[in-house]
Amino acid sequence: MAESRKPSPPIASRHCDDPKIDYKEVAYLQKFLTPQAQILSRKRSGFCTQCQRELKAAIKRARHMGLMAFVQ
Amino acid sequence: MTTTYEGMFLLDNQAVRADWCQAKAMVTDLLGKNGAKVLCARRWDERKLAYPIKGRTRGTYLLAYFEIAGTGLNGIRRDFELDERVLRYLLLKVDAIPAGEREKAAEEGADGYVVPPPPTDEAISPERAVFGDLADRPIQEHLRRNTPAEADAGDGAEAEVAEAAAAEES
Ligand SMILES: [Zn+2]
Repeated sequence: MAESRKPSPPIASRHCDDPKIDYKEVAYLQKFLTPQAQILSRKRSGFCTQCQRELKAAIKRARHMGLMAFVQ
Repeated sequence: MTTTYEGMFLLDNQAVRADWCQAKAMVTDLLGKNGAKVLCARRWDERKLAYPIKGRTRGTYLLAYFEIAGTGLNGIRRDFELDERVLRYLLLKVDAIPAGEREKAAEEGADGYVVPPPPTDEAISPERAVFGDLADRPIQEHLRRNTPAEADAGDGAEAEVAEAAAAEES
């Protein structure tokens, strides 16, 4: 990881008026985590501010419910 | 004026194994007792937990939708906080019950539908054996606080520390 300085392209696109991001869609949320289970920054997720906020809320909810890990 | 909520309840597999219907009734009764009208409730899934919670490595999720007026949510929170059969819960406001949800809940209530029993519990987690209750949340929180909140420090404003309470929304 440390050797690569290339910025990775955004991993997803999303329309702001798509249905709300659901904390139950664990497989989808998993795509927005680093191997250490940290939430990808907005730059790397490719989400707008509102969508990123929604994403973070969903991941935090999934973590609270034991569906996703806090750390790997 | 009533509001519709989605409630997810992580139930101790021990209670589920004893009797699913009773475990489900325990949740819906607690909701009803606090003035909520349960619209539908079903077993969402049985899973291995991403981290041990109260010494459990697996659990069964119950997904319920209910209507409640005014401030009834506080009583619900208090009751679920106190019930040791509920490992975690999450209450979220929703605009409407998602399509298909009522049907799935009705399927579960139909004759001949058997809720699969949870697999036998895995051995108690090694962390639990050593640290007891400390093995749960406190260590998770400790690790979380000592881990950068974001993979990339680009978004300073978004690097605020997560709060367990942020997971809930009233
Ligand atoms: Zn957006």
